Amino acid sequence: MKASVKLVSILIAFLAIVEASIAADYPTKPITLINPQAPGGTLDIQARAFASVADKMLGQPVVVVNKTGATGMVGGLAGAQAAPDGYTLTVGSVNIPNAIEWEIANGRKPPFTRYDFVCIGTFTMSPTLLIVPPDAPYKTLADFIADAKARPGQLAFSSGGLYGMSHLPAEIFVRAAGLKVRHVPYTGGGPSLTAIVGKQVDFSVNYPANTIPLIRGNKVKALAVIGGKRLKSVPNIPTTKELGIDAEYYGWVGILAPVKTPKPIVDKLKDVMKRVVESKAFVDVIEQAGDEVHFLNGEELAKYMEFESAKIAKLYAEMVKETRK
Amino acid sequence: MDVLTNLLGGFQTALTFKNIYLCLIGCLWGTVVGVLPGIGPLAGITLLIPATFGIDATGAIIMLAGIYYGAMYGGSTTSILMNIPGESASVVTCIDGYQMTRKGRGGAALFISAWGSWIGGTLGIMGLMLLAPFLANVAVKFGPPEMFALLLIAFILLGSLGKGSFFKAVPMILLGLLVGTIGMDQLTGTMRFTHGIRDLYDGIGFIPVAMGAFGIGEILSSTEETLVHVVHRVRLRELLPNREELRASWGPILRGTGLGFLIGLLPGSAHVLSSFVSYTLEKRLSKKPGEFGTGRIEGVAGPETANNAASESAMIPFLGLGIPTGPAPAVMMIALMIHGVRPGPLFISEQPQLFWGLIASMYIGNVILLILNLPLVSIFINLLRVPFRILFPVVLLVCLVGTYAVNSSTAELMILLVFGVLGYIFRRLDFDIAPFVLAMLIGPSLEMAFRQSLMRSAGSFSIFLQSPVACTLIALSCLLFFWNIYRALRRQKAWESALERGE
Repeated sequence: MKASVKLVSILIAFLAIVEASIAADYPTKPITLINPQAPGGTLDIQARAFASVADKMLGQPVVVVNKTGATGMVGGLAGAQAAPDGYTLTVGSVNIPNAIEWEIANGRKPPFTRYDFVCIGTFTMSPTLLIVPPDAPYKTLADFIADAKARPGQLAFSSGGLYGMSHLPAEIFVRAAGLKVRHVPYTGGGPSLTAIVGKQVDFSVNYPANTIPLIRGNKVKALAVIGGKRLKSVPNIPTTKELGIDAEYYGWVGILAPVKTPKPIVDKLKDVMKRVVESKAFVDVIEQAGDEVHFLNGEELAKYMEFESAKIAKLYAEMVKETRK
Repeated sequence: MDVLTNLLGGFQTALTFKNIYLCLIGCLWGTVVGVLPGIGPLAGITLLIPATFGIDATGAIIMLAGIYYGAMYGGSTTSILMNIPGESASVVTCIDGYQMTRKGRGGAALFISAWGSWIGGTLGIMGLMLLAPFLANVAVKFGPPEMFALLLIAFILLGSLGKGSFFKAVPMILLGLLVGTIGMDQLTGTMRFTHGIRDLYDGIGFIPVAMGAFGIGEILSSTEETLVHVVHRVRLRELLPNREELRASWGPILRGTGLGFLIGLLPGSAHVLSSFVSYTLEKRLSKKPGEFGTGRIEGVAGPETANNAASESAMIPFLGLGIPTGPAPAVMMIALMIHGVRPGPLFISEQPQLFWGLIASMYIGNVILLILNLPLVSIFINLLRVPFRILFPVVLLVCLVGTYAVNSSTAELMILLVFGVLGYIFRRLDFDIAPFVLAMLIGPSLEMAFRQSLMRSAGSFSIFLQSPVACTLIALSCLLFFWNIYRALRRQKAWESALERGE
């Protein structure tokens, strides 16, 4: 008995030493960063920008691997089940709670949950912009809402995919404003934007990084920021909050690690993350892409995900009920 | 001459030692990913993005674009020599290209394919250079109703693809459509035939199916052939196309360029569609359509030119508007953004040095690829002299590794093998594989475009009549449909009367 206690305590001590030395050495080989979304999206830019800066801080290459499929479930699952040694991280985003809650709303068991991850932090947390073609007869959001209310079920919006990160903010806005409109999903963010530039649909909702160049080139017109804070890059566009519509949705992008990753490694990653988002090189890439850096640390992100998941779950439950009707 | 001064400026940028070097690296790597089955331009570009961190934006885009159009040159190689599509746009090249190899004209097919690629590529850049801003604004008008109408034509053309009878093509098309429905319906989120298997949520991938049904199936059925076709040491002259082949390929090359350039503007996997439409067009126009599928040079020249022209015009929405509509241009845009350049509608006027540098480098790159590919013809042809028992296991291995490398998915390996066995069975029963594979690709897009249109119009079919383009294309597809029936009936009558006369 005594011997076994001794053995266990030795083992624990040994493990603690090993753990400490892991963190001290970490990383000793390249780190894989799984991006569950297709190359070319918002996640990809930010993950690759992170990789290009974090490389130097970690002294090891950070390799972005796109593992797409089942709207992010394939990559998310690979990330959740990866060895918790800090060498396989996941690009987390609002898509992860989206995908999990969608499975639950449809009565399926999600393959993993947000509790399978420990949050390292976020790069950005962007609101979306409500955009219309440049020659649309609306000057303000009020004009638009009045028209949509006058013709219920007539206006249509495009999104980059069903229940994805460009569909949900539109759905939240439409419900908050009490409108009845139609949704036409496209395959990806690019086609969804072409749909609005080519006037195939009446409005669309998309992120600043994708829409601001088009606004500057006068290919689309923005009516509102869906959220509570104006954007630095387009300060003249009002928010839905200012206009009295309670709609908020933020497309956050950040980094997650498997939940069992040793604490010293998580702490080191959190530290690197904070230094990366504060570095000029990273901020420059994000801002040139038309976005703003918005850092939440691990604890803040975990708390936000909690709040967000509850909100999305409620919305999906309504949506599923409506389609079944 | 504004364009000329700009282009001269572009050549000044592109002709520095560093940029020529980067262009060469891009083209070489593009040829490699094109030749290797499974790995296509998308994976090729994604892999090399980290390598561009150290160079400037112009150099980076020159190199990445080189991979993109370079892959279109390489894609035909394995299609022609081994019946394995090296890249998804080269599926139809397998049909006649491989038959040419079996007849000993593989060298000529490879030569014409490189030559056509060069013409398609170079004319494509000219179109891109002169018309980019204009065409970008036209392309965005091409919405679901127009897409539906175009795919409808493609769908009707499917029936005339095979070399066998109509009744052997139809079951293959139906089977392809069925396989294409597997996965999550993107418009409602309903699961179709997934049986709770998560790997099937996204449907069955085109590349593993095409590689399996064509390549693995071919390998399996070759093991049965007792006759070993030995390729004799060929003289250079036999590698080159003869006068007749050259003359026959001019028309397909020029038509393929125009067709490919227009189709390339469309969103999605337009280059696959471009090579397929070009192939069927050539078959329609041919005086001997019955010989297609037995090794006609037109069946190689047209599609291989079309996919190169399409790869140039696919960059138009990305360069002219900053909206990438296909996966490979999307990754190129990411690379530019990491270098702090954000393409948008004002890209060409704000970044003239970058845009014109890229254009000039593409002219140079296409010449590099032509010079690179012609000597490769004789090297690749000599690969066929490797004994079967060594060559085909190696090819099988390359197929497996290539498939796994793209998504690191073991499920795709299973799909590859299952469709390999199916491909073997189809071959034994003398069914054509191309209609199956292409129906699988066209079916879901056709359905999607149709339903998107109706979602937009709240179920009213008038949306197809409101668009002049869609209206014309649908009328054309009706004509084509009835012409097909008429021709089939006439042929049957002729056959019956011949039968009567014989009796």
